[in-house]
Amino acid sequence: MSYTTFSRKHNNQMQEPMFFGQTVNVSRYDQQKYPIFEKLIEKQLSFFWRPEEVDVSKDRLDFQALPEHEKHIFLSNLKYQTLLDSVQGRSPNVALLPIVSIPELETWIETWAFSETIHSRSYTHIIRNVTQSPELIFDDIVSNDKISERADAVTTYYDDLINSVSLYNLYGEGKHEINGNTVVVNLFELKKKLYLAMMSVNILEAIRFYVSFACSFAFAEREVMEGNAKIIKLIARDEALHLSGTQHILNIMQEGKDDPEMAIVAAQCQDEAIAMFVEAAEQEKEWAEYLFKDGSMIGLNKHILCQYVEYITNARMTAIGLPAQFENNSNPIPWINSWLVSDNVQVAPQEAEISSYLVGQIDSQVDASDFGDFDL
Amino acid sequence: MSEKMPASITLAATGQCIEFKAGDQCALQCLETKKIPVSYQCREGYCGACRATLIAGNVHYNEEPLAFVREGEILLCCCKPNGAITINI
Repeated sequence: MSYTTFSRKHNNQMQEPMFFGQTVNVSRYDQQKYPIFEKLIEKQLSFFWRPEEVDVSKDRLDFQALPEHEKHIFLSNLKYQTLLDSVQGRSPNVALLPIVSIPELETWIETWAFSETIHSRSYTHIIRNVTQSPELIFDDIVSNDKISERADAVTTYYDDLINSVSLYNLYGEGKHEINGNTVVVNLFELKKKLYLAMMSVNILEAIRFYVSFACSFAFAEREVMEGNAKIIKLIARDEALHLSGTQHILNIMQEGKDDPEMAIVAAQCQDEAIAMFVEAAEQEKEWAEYLFKDGSMIGLNKHILCQYVEYITNARMTAIGLPAQFENNSNPIPWINSWLVSDNVQVAPQEAEISSYLVGQIDSQVDASDFGDFDL
Repeated sequence: MSEKMPASITLAATGQCIEFKAGDQCALQCLETKKIPVSYQCREGYCGACRATLIAGNVHYNEEPLAFVREGEILLCCCKPNGAITINI
Protein backbone atom coordinates (compact mmCIF):
# COMPACT_ATOMS: atom_id res chain seq x y z
CA MET A 1 0.00 0.00 0.00
CA SER A 2 1.11 3.55 -0.44
CA TYR A 3 -0.18 6.90 0.73
CA THR A 4 -2.45 8.92 -1.48
CA THR A 5 -3.57 12.50 -0.94
CA PHE A 6 -6.90 11.86 -2.65
CA SER A 7 -8.21 8.33 -2.64
CA ARG A 8 -10.40 7.57 -5.68
CA LYS A 9 -12.16 4.88 -3.68
CA HIS A 10 -15.69 5.75 -2.56
CA ASN A 11 -16.16 5.39 1.17
CA ASN A 12 -18.62 6.39 3.82
CA GLN A 13 -16.73 8.86 5.98
CA MET A 14 -19.33 8.45 8.72
CA GLN A 15 -18.18 4.84 9.12
CA GLU A 16 -14.45 5.53 9.22
CA PRO A 17 -12.57 5.57 12.52
CA MET A 18 -10.78 8.79 13.53
CA PHE A 19 -7.40 7.35 12.53
CA PHE A 20 -6.05 4.53 10.36
CA GLY A 21 -9.16 4.20 8.21
CA GLN A 22 -9.19 5.22 4.57
CA THR A 23 -7.42 8.58 4.27
CA VAL A 24 -9.77 11.50 3.73
CA ASN A 25 -10.55 12.25 0.10
CA VAL A 26 -13.33 14.84 -0.11
CA SER A 27 -13.15 17.52 2.58
CA ARG A 28 -16.85 17.71 3.25
CA TYR A 29 -18.60 18.94 6.36
CA ASP A 30 -22.24 18.46 5.42
CA GLN A 31 -22.15 15.23 7.43
CA GLN A 32 -20.05 14.83 10.51
CA LYS A 33 -19.21 11.83 12.61
CA TYR A 34 -17.98 14.05 15.45
CA PRO A 35 -19.51 17.57 15.20
CA ILE A 36 -17.42 18.60 18.22
CA PHE A 37 -14.35 19.02 16.01
CA GLU A 38 -16.26 21.39 13.74
CA LYS A 39 -17.30 23.38 16.82
CA LEU A 40 -13.70 23.53 17.97
CA ILE A 41 -12.67 24.81 14.53
CA GLU A 42 -15.30 27.54 14.65
CA LYS A 43 -14.26 28.56 18.14
CA GLN A 44 -10.59 28.60 17.16
CA LEU A 45 -11.31 30.74 14.10
CA SER A 46 -13.30 33.16 16.24
CA PHE A 47 -10.25 33.47 18.53
CA PHE A 48 -8.03 34.66 15.68
CA TRP A 49 -5.49 37.28 16.74
CA ARG A 50 -2.14 38.65 15.62
CA PRO A 51 0.85 39.35 17.87
CA GLU A 52 1.32 42.82 16.37
CA GLU A 53 -2.02 43.87 17.86
CA VAL A 54 -0.44 43.82 21.30
CA ASP A 55 1.84 46.69 22.23
CA VAL A 56 4.89 45.33 24.02
CA SER A 57 7.00 48.49 23.95
CA LYS A 58 6.74 49.15 27.70
CA ASP A 59 8.10 45.67 28.36
CA ARG A 60 11.51 46.71 27.07
CA LEU A 61 11.93 49.19 29.93
CA ASP A 62 10.49 46.72 32.42
CA PHE A 63 12.89 44.05 31.27
CA GLN A 64 15.94 46.28 31.58
CA ALA A 65 14.97 47.09 35.15
CA LEU A 66 14.59 43.44 36.18
CA PRO A 67 17.27 41.97 38.46
CA GLU A 68 19.50 39.37 36.77
CA HIS A 69 17.83 36.33 38.33
CA GLU A 70 14.43 37.51 37.12
CA LYS A 71 15.80 38.10 33.63
CA HIS A 72 16.93 34.49 33.75
CA ILE A 73 13.43 33.35 34.77
CA PHE A 74 11.75 35.44 32.10
CA LEU A 75 14.04 34.45 29.25
CA SER A 76 14.25 30.76 30.15
CA ASN A 77 10.50 30.60 30.34
CA LEU A 78 10.19 32.29 26.97
CA LYS A 79 12.71 29.88 25.45
CA TYR A 80 10.73 26.96 26.77
CA GLN A 81 7.52 28.37 25.33
CA THR A 82 9.25 28.91 21.99
CA LEU A 83 10.40 25.29 21.99
CA LEU A 84 6.93 23.97 22.82
CA ASP A 85 5.25 25.94 20.06
CA SER A 86 7.97 25.10 17.53
CA VAL A 87 7.07 21.47 18.14
CA GLN A 88 3.33 22.05 18.16
CA GLY A 89 3.33 24.24 15.07
CA ARG A 90 4.36 21.32 12.91
CA SER A 91 4.03 18.00 14.68
CA PRO A 92 0.25 17.55 14.69
CA ASN A 93 0.35 18.02 10.92
CA VAL A 94 3.32 15.77 10.26
CA ALA A 95 2.26 13.04 12.65
CA LEU A 96 -1.51 12.98 12.36
CA LEU A 97 -2.50 14.15 8.86
CA PRO A 98 -1.14 11.03 7.10
CA ILE A 99 -3.31 8.76 9.26
CA VAL A 100 -6.47 10.75 9.97
CA SER A 101 -9.59 9.43 8.25
CA ILE A 102 -12.44 11.85 8.94
CA PRO A 103 -12.58 15.33 7.41
CA GLU A 104 -13.70 17.41 10.39
CA LEU A 105 -10.89 16.00 12.52
CA GLU A 106 -8.38 16.53 9.71
CA THR A 107 -9.38 20.18 9.47
CA TRP A 108 -9.32 20.57 13.25
CA ILE A 109 -5.71 19.29 13.28
CA GLU A 110 -4.74 21.82 10.61
CA THR A 111 -6.55 24.67 12.36
CA TRP A 112 -4.94 23.69 15.67
CA ALA A 113 -1.41 23.58 14.24
CA PHE A 114 -1.95 26.86 12.42
CA SER A 115 -2.85 28.65 15.62
CA GLU A 116 0.38 27.34 17.17
CA THR A 117 2.32 29.06 14.38
CA ILE A 118 0.76 32.35 15.49
CA HIS A 119 2.14 31.63 18.95
CA SER A 120 5.60 31.04 17.53
CA ARG A 121 5.45 34.32 15.67
CA SER A 122 4.41 36.12 18.81
CA TYR A 123 7.50 34.87 20.69
CA THR A 124 9.66 36.50 18.03
CA HIS A 125 7.61 39.67 18.49
CA ILE A 126 8.31 39.58 22.24
CA ILE A 127 11.98 38.62 21.98
CA ARG A 128 12.77 41.24 19.32
CA ASN A 129 11.37 43.80 21.68
CA VAL A 130 13.28 42.89 24.83
CA THR A 131 16.66 42.30 23.26
CA GLN A 132 18.72 43.65 20.42
CA SER A 133 20.23 40.26 19.69
CA PRO A 134 17.34 37.78 19.37
CA GLU A 135 19.72 35.26 17.79
CA LEU A 136 21.40 34.65 21.16
CA ILE A 137 18.08 33.58 22.63
CA PHE A 138 16.99 31.47 19.67
CA ASP A 139 20.39 29.75 19.38
CA ASP A 140 20.34 28.88 23.05
CA ILE A 141 17.08 26.96 22.61
CA VAL A 142 19.05 24.38 20.63
CA SER A 143 22.30 24.44 22.62
CA ASN A 144 21.09 24.82 26.23
CA ASP A 145 21.12 21.43 27.96
CA LYS A 146 18.14 22.18 30.19
CA ILE A 147 15.96 23.19 27.23
CA SER A 148 17.17 20.30 25.16
CA GLU A 149 16.12 17.84 27.87
CA ARG A 150 12.65 19.35 27.55
CA ALA A 151 12.83 18.89 23.77
CA ASP A 152 13.57 15.17 24.17
CA ALA A 153 10.61 14.77 26.47
CA VAL A 154 8.12 16.44 24.14
CA THR A 155 9.26 14.94 20.83
CA THR A 156 10.09 11.27 21.55
CA TYR A 157 6.56 9.96 21.11
CA TYR A 158 5.83 12.15 18.11
CA ASP A 159 9.02 11.03 16.36
CA ASP A 160 8.37 7.38 17.09
CA LEU A 161 4.88 7.63 15.60
CA ILE A 162 6.02 9.64 12.57
CA ASN A 163 8.81 7.19 11.70
CA SER A 164 6.58 4.16 12.08
CA VAL A 165 3.72 5.67 10.10
CA SER A 166 6.01 6.52 7.21
CA LEU A 167 7.09 2.87 7.05
CA TYR A 168 3.45 1.77 7.25
CA ASN A 169 2.42 4.11 4.45
CA LEU A 170 5.31 2.96 2.27
CA TYR A 171 5.32 -0.77 2.87
CA GLY A 172 2.15 -1.66 4.75
CA GLU A 173 1.92 -4.22 7.54
CA GLY A 174 4.38 -7.10 7.73
CA LYS A 175 8.07 -7.89 8.06
CA HIS A 176 10.30 -5.80 5.81
CA GLU A 177 14.02 -5.80 4.99
CA ILE A 178 15.13 -2.17 4.91
CA ASN A 179 18.83 -1.37 4.40
CA GLY A 180 19.72 -4.74 5.83
CA ASN A 181 17.56 -4.28 8.92
CA THR A 182 14.40 -6.25 9.58
CA VAL A 183 11.49 -4.01 10.48
CA VAL A 184 8.12 -5.26 11.62
CA VAL A 185 5.16 -3.00 10.90
CA ASN A 186 2.06 -3.92 12.88
CA LEU A 187 -1.11 -1.85 12.91
CA PHE A 188 -1.93 -2.62 16.54
CA GLU A 189 1.52 -1.45 17.60
CA LEU A 190 1.03 1.68 15.49
CA LYS A 191 -2.21 2.40 17.30
CA LYS A 192 -0.34 2.15 20.59
CA LYS A 193 2.22 4.64 19.34
CA LEU A 194 -0.62 6.94 18.28
CA TYR A 195 -2.32 6.70 21.65
CA LEU A 196 0.89 7.42 23.54
CA ALA A 197 1.79 10.29 21.21
CA MET A 198 -1.65 11.76 21.84
CA MET A 199 -1.07 11.39 25.59
CA SER A 200 2.26 13.13 25.26
CA VAL A 201 0.63 16.02 23.34
CA ASN A 202 -2.03 16.28 26.02
CA ILE A 203 0.70 16.47 28.67
CA LEU A 204 2.49 19.14 26.67
CA GLU A 205 -0.57 21.31 26.24
CA ALA A 206 -2.27 20.63 29.54
CA ILE A 207 0.65 20.69 31.96
CA ARG A 208 3.89 21.98 30.45
CA PHE A 209 2.28 25.02 28.85
CA TYR A 210 0.42 25.91 32.02
CA VAL A 211 3.57 25.84 34.12
CA SER A 212 5.07 28.35 31.72
CA PHE A 213 1.89 30.47 31.76
CA ALA A 214 2.10 30.69 35.54
CA CYS A 215 5.56 32.27 35.24
CA SER A 216 4.48 34.75 32.57
CA PHE A 217 1.46 35.85 34.58
CA ALA A 218 3.44 36.09 37.82
CA PHE A 219 5.42 38.96 36.29
CA ALA A 220 2.27 40.76 35.19
CA GLU A 221 0.69 40.33 38.64
CA ARG A 222 3.43 42.77 39.72
CA GLU A 223 2.58 45.02 36.78
CA VAL A 224 5.77 44.30 34.87
CA MET A 225 6.08 42.67 31.43
CA GLU A 226 2.37 43.23 30.89
CA GLY A 227 2.51 43.27 27.09
CA ASN A 228 4.03 39.83 27.25
CA ALA A 229 1.29 38.67 29.60
CA LYS A 230 -1.41 39.97 27.25
CA ILE A 231 0.05 37.86 24.47
CA ILE A 232 0.39 34.83 26.74
CA LYS A 233 -3.24 35.31 27.75
CA LEU A 234 -4.29 34.97 24.12
CA ILE A 235 -2.04 31.94 23.77
CA ALA A 236 -3.52 30.40 26.91
CA ARG A 237 -7.02 30.86 25.54
CA ASP A 238 -6.02 28.94 22.41
CA GLU A 239 -4.27 26.23 24.40
CA ALA A 240 -7.35 25.58 26.52
CA LEU A 241 -9.17 24.84 23.28
CA HIS A 242 -6.40 22.61 21.94
CA LEU A 243 -6.30 20.57 25.08
CA SER A 244 -10.07 20.18 24.93
CA GLY A 245 -9.45 18.77 21.42
CA THR A 246 -6.88 16.22 22.59
CA GLN A 247 -9.05 15.30 25.58
CA HIS A 248 -11.91 14.58 23.20
CA ILE A 249 -9.70 12.45 20.96
CA LEU A 250 -8.35 10.48 23.93
CA ASN A 251 -11.77 9.94 25.44
CA ILE A 252 -13.25 8.82 22.11
CA MET A 253 -10.35 6.38 21.75
CA GLN A 254 -10.89 4.99 25.26
CA GLU A 255 -14.61 4.46 24.69
CA GLY A 256 -13.87 2.14 21.79
CA LYS A 257 -17.05 2.87 19.84
CA ASP A 258 -14.98 4.59 17.18
CA ASP A 259 -12.39 1.81 16.87
CA PRO A 260 -12.80 -1.17 19.25
CA GLU A 261 -9.08 -1.92 19.03
CA MET A 262 -8.32 1.54 20.35
CA ALA A 263 -10.12 0.72 23.62
CA ILE A 264 -7.86 -2.33 24.02
CA VAL A 265 -4.85 -0.14 23.28
CA ALA A 266 -6.00 2.41 25.87
CA ALA A 267 -6.46 -0.29 28.50
CA GLN A 268 -3.05 -1.81 27.76
CA CYS A 269 -1.36 1.59 27.85
CA GLN A 270 -3.03 2.81 31.04
CA ASP A 271 -0.01 2.21 33.29
CA GLU A 272 2.36 3.73 30.79
CA ALA A 273 0.10 6.79 30.43
CA ILE A 274 0.03 7.29 34.21
CA ALA A 275 3.82 6.96 34.29
CA MET A 276 4.11 9.55 31.52
CA PHE A 277 2.10 12.08 33.53
CA VAL A 278 4.10 11.46 36.69
CA GLU A 279 7.36 11.72 34.79
CA ALA A 280 6.27 14.97 33.13
CA ALA A 281 5.35 16.40 36.53
CA GLU A 282 8.82 15.50 37.83
CA GLN A 283 10.44 17.08 34.77
CA GLU A 284 8.46 20.26 35.28
CA LYS A 285 9.55 20.35 38.93
CA GLU A 286 13.18 20.03 37.83
CA TRP A 287 12.54 22.84 35.40
CA ALA A 288 11.15 24.96 38.27
CA GLU A 289 14.39 24.29 40.12
CA TYR A 290 16.38 25.56 37.13
CA LEU A 291 14.18 28.66 36.73
CA PHE A 292 14.58 29.72 40.34
CA LYS A 293 18.21 28.58 40.78
CA ASP A 294 19.47 32.14 41.35
CA GLY A 295 16.52 33.38 43.36
CA SER A 296 12.72 33.61 43.50
CA MET A 297 10.42 36.39 42.46
CA ILE A 298 7.63 38.04 44.41
CA GLY A 299 4.55 35.84 44.20
CA LEU A 300 6.24 32.78 42.77
CA ASN A 301 9.01 30.47 43.88
CA LYS A 302 10.12 26.93 43.24
CA HIS A 303 7.93 25.51 45.99
CA ILE A 304 4.73 27.20 44.81
CA LEU A 305 5.35 26.30 41.18
CA CYS A 306 5.92 22.64 42.15
CA GLN A 307 2.60 22.63 44.05
CA TYR A 308 0.93 24.05 40.95
CA VAL A 309 2.49 21.28 38.84
CA GLU A 310 0.92 18.68 41.13
CA TYR A 311 -2.45 20.39 41.18
CA ILE A 312 -2.65 20.78 37.41
CA THR A 313 -1.36 17.23 36.78
CA ASN A 314 -4.14 15.81 38.95
CA ALA A 315 -6.79 17.86 37.16
CA ARG A 316 -5.56 16.85 33.72
CA MET A 317 -5.32 13.18 34.60
CA THR A 318 -8.87 12.95 35.89
CA ALA A 319 -10.11 14.80 32.78
CA ILE A 320 -9.04 11.85 30.64
CA GLY A 321 -10.13 9.14 33.04
CA LEU A 322 -6.79 8.47 34.76
CA PRO A 323 -6.48 8.34 38.56
CA ALA A 324 -4.93 11.43 40.19
CA GLN A 325 -1.41 10.75 41.47
CA PHE A 326 -0.73 13.57 43.90
CA GLU A 327 -2.12 14.51 47.29
CA ASN A 328 -2.39 18.18 46.55
CA ASN A 329 -5.80 19.13 45.20
CA SER A 330 -5.93 22.86 45.73
CA ASN A 331 -4.61 25.55 43.46
CA PRO A 332 -1.68 27.34 45.17
CA ILE A 333 -1.95 30.29 42.76
CA PRO A 334 -5.67 31.05 42.47
CA TRP A 335 -4.85 34.44 40.92
CA ILE A 336 -3.94 32.62 37.70
CA ASN A 337 -7.65 32.01 37.05
CA SER A 338 -8.35 35.65 36.31
CA TRP A 339 -5.67 35.47 33.60
CA LEU A 340 -7.24 32.38 32.10
CA VAL A 341 -10.81 33.65 31.89
CA SER A 342 -11.90 33.96 28.31
CA ASP A 343 -14.14 36.98 29.01
CA ASN A 344 -11.27 39.02 30.31
CA VAL A 345 -9.60 39.05 26.93
CA GLN A 346 -10.47 42.63 26.14
CA VAL A 347 -12.50 43.01 22.98
CA ALA A 348 -15.18 45.28 21.63
CA PRO A 349 -18.33 43.32 20.64
CA GLN A 350 -18.02 44.38 17.02
CA GLU A 351 -14.56 42.87 16.84
CA ALA A 352 -14.21 39.38 15.51
CA GLU A 353 -12.81 37.84 18.67
CA ILE A 354 -16.03 37.50 20.61
CA SER A 355 -17.19 34.15 19.44
CA SER A 356 -20.76 34.56 20.57
CA TYR A 357 -20.99 37.59 18.30
CA LEU A 358 -20.13 35.46 15.30
CA VAL A 359 -22.48 32.58 15.84
CA GLY A 360 -26.00 33.29 14.58
CA GLN A 361 -27.99 35.03 17.25
CA ILE A 362 -31.30 34.28 15.59
CA ASP A 363 -32.99 30.97 16.19
CA SER A 364 -33.73 29.91 12.63
CA GLN A 365 -35.54 26.69 13.51
CA VAL A 366 -39.24 26.82 12.80
CA ASP A 367 -41.78 24.05 13.26
CA ALA A 368 -45.53 23.82 12.94
CA SER A 369 -46.23 24.57 16.61
CA ASP A 370 -44.74 28.04 16.17
CA PHE A 371 -47.80 28.92 14.07
CA GLY A 372 -50.26 27.65 16.70
CA ASP A 373 -51.65 31.07 17.60
CA PHE A 374 -51.45 32.45 14.10
CA ASP A 375 -54.72 33.53 12.42
CA LEU A 376 -55.40 35.10 9.06
CA MET B 1 -43.02 30.13 31.98
CA SER B 2 -44.38 27.12 33.77
CA GLU B 3 -44.19 26.77 37.54
CA LYS B 4 -40.95 25.06 38.46
CA MET B 5 -39.45 23.65 41.59
CA PRO B 6 -37.17 26.23 43.20
CA ALA B 7 -33.66 25.63 41.90
CA SER B 8 -30.90 24.86 44.35
CA ILE B 9 -27.46 23.30 44.52
CA THR B 10 -26.56 20.94 47.36
CA LEU B 11 -22.91 20.13 47.97
CA ALA B 12 -22.61 16.43 48.72
CA ALA B 13 -19.38 16.86 50.68
CA THR B 14 -20.79 19.27 53.29
CA GLY B 15 -24.54 19.00 52.84
CA GLN B 16 -24.74 22.76 52.34
CA CYS B 17 -27.71 23.78 50.19
CA ILE B 18 -27.51 26.96 48.14
CA GLU B 19 -30.49 28.59 46.50
CA PHE B 20 -30.08 29.24 42.79
CA LYS B 21 -31.55 32.70 42.31
CA ALA B 22 -33.23 33.92 39.15
CA GLY B 23 -30.41 36.37 38.50
CA ASP B 24 -27.65 33.74 38.65
CA GLN B 25 -26.10 33.22 35.23
CA CYS B 26 -24.70 29.77 35.92
CA ALA B 27 -24.06 27.27 38.71
CA LEU B 28 -20.46 28.49 39.04
CA GLN B 29 -21.53 32.07 39.67
CA CYS B 30 -24.16 30.91 42.15
CA LEU B 31 -21.52 29.02 44.18
CA GLU B 32 -19.13 31.96 44.01
CA THR B 33 -21.66 34.32 45.56
CA LYS B 34 -21.57 32.03 48.60
CA LYS B 35 -17.75 32.10 48.53
CA ILE B 36 -17.45 28.41 47.78
CA PRO B 37 -14.08 27.75 46.17
CA VAL B 38 -14.56 26.18 42.74
CA SER B 39 -11.85 25.83 40.14
CA TYR B 40 -12.55 27.54 36.88
CA GLN B 41 -10.71 28.98 33.92
CA CYS B 42 -12.38 29.96 30.68
CA ARG B 43 -15.96 30.34 32.02
CA GLU B 44 -17.14 29.54 28.51
CA GLY B 45 -17.39 25.77 28.59
CA TYR B 46 -14.30 24.84 26.61
CA CYS B 47 -11.52 24.33 29.16
CA GLY B 48 -13.27 21.88 31.49
CA ALA B 49 -11.68 23.23 34.69
CA CYS B 50 -15.03 23.55 36.47
CA ARG B 51 -16.02 19.92 35.85
CA ALA B 52 -18.14 18.53 38.72
CA THR B 53 -19.97 15.29 39.43
CA LEU B 54 -23.75 15.42 39.30
CA ILE B 55 -25.13 13.13 41.98
CA ALA B 56 -28.82 13.95 41.78
CA GLY B 57 -31.08 16.08 39.60
CA ASN B 58 -30.41 17.49 36.18
CA VAL B 59 -29.15 20.66 34.56
CA HIS B 60 -29.54 22.47 31.29
CA TYR B 61 -26.79 24.24 29.40
CA ASN B 62 -26.89 27.86 28.35
CA GLU B 63 -24.64 26.85 25.50
CA GLU B 64 -23.54 23.31 24.62
CA PRO B 65 -20.06 22.92 26.19
CA LEU B 66 -17.02 22.26 23.99
CA ALA B 67 -15.06 20.49 26.72
CA PHE B 68 -15.46 16.74 27.11
CA VAL B 69 -18.20 15.95 29.62
CA ARG B 70 -18.74 12.35 30.68
CA GLU B 71 -22.10 11.03 31.74
CA GLY B 72 -22.73 12.06 35.31
CA GLU B 73 -20.50 15.11 34.98
CA ILE B 74 -21.44 18.75 34.49
CA LEU B 75 -19.60 21.95 33.68
CA LEU B 76 -20.53 24.51 36.29
CA CYS B 77 -19.61 27.56 34.21
CA CYS B 78 -22.26 27.05 31.58
CA CYS B 79 -25.14 25.17 33.21
CA LYS B 80 -28.17 26.00 35.33
CA PRO B 81 -29.87 23.53 37.66
CA ASN B 82 -33.33 22.25 36.72
CA GLY B 83 -34.83 22.25 40.18
CA ALA B 84 -32.78 20.85 43.04
CA ILE B 85 -29.45 19.22 42.25
CA THR B 86 -26.72 17.59 44.32
CA ILE B 87 -23.13 17.83 43.16
CA ASN B 88 -19.62 16.96 44.21
CA ILE B 89 -16.87 19.44 43.44
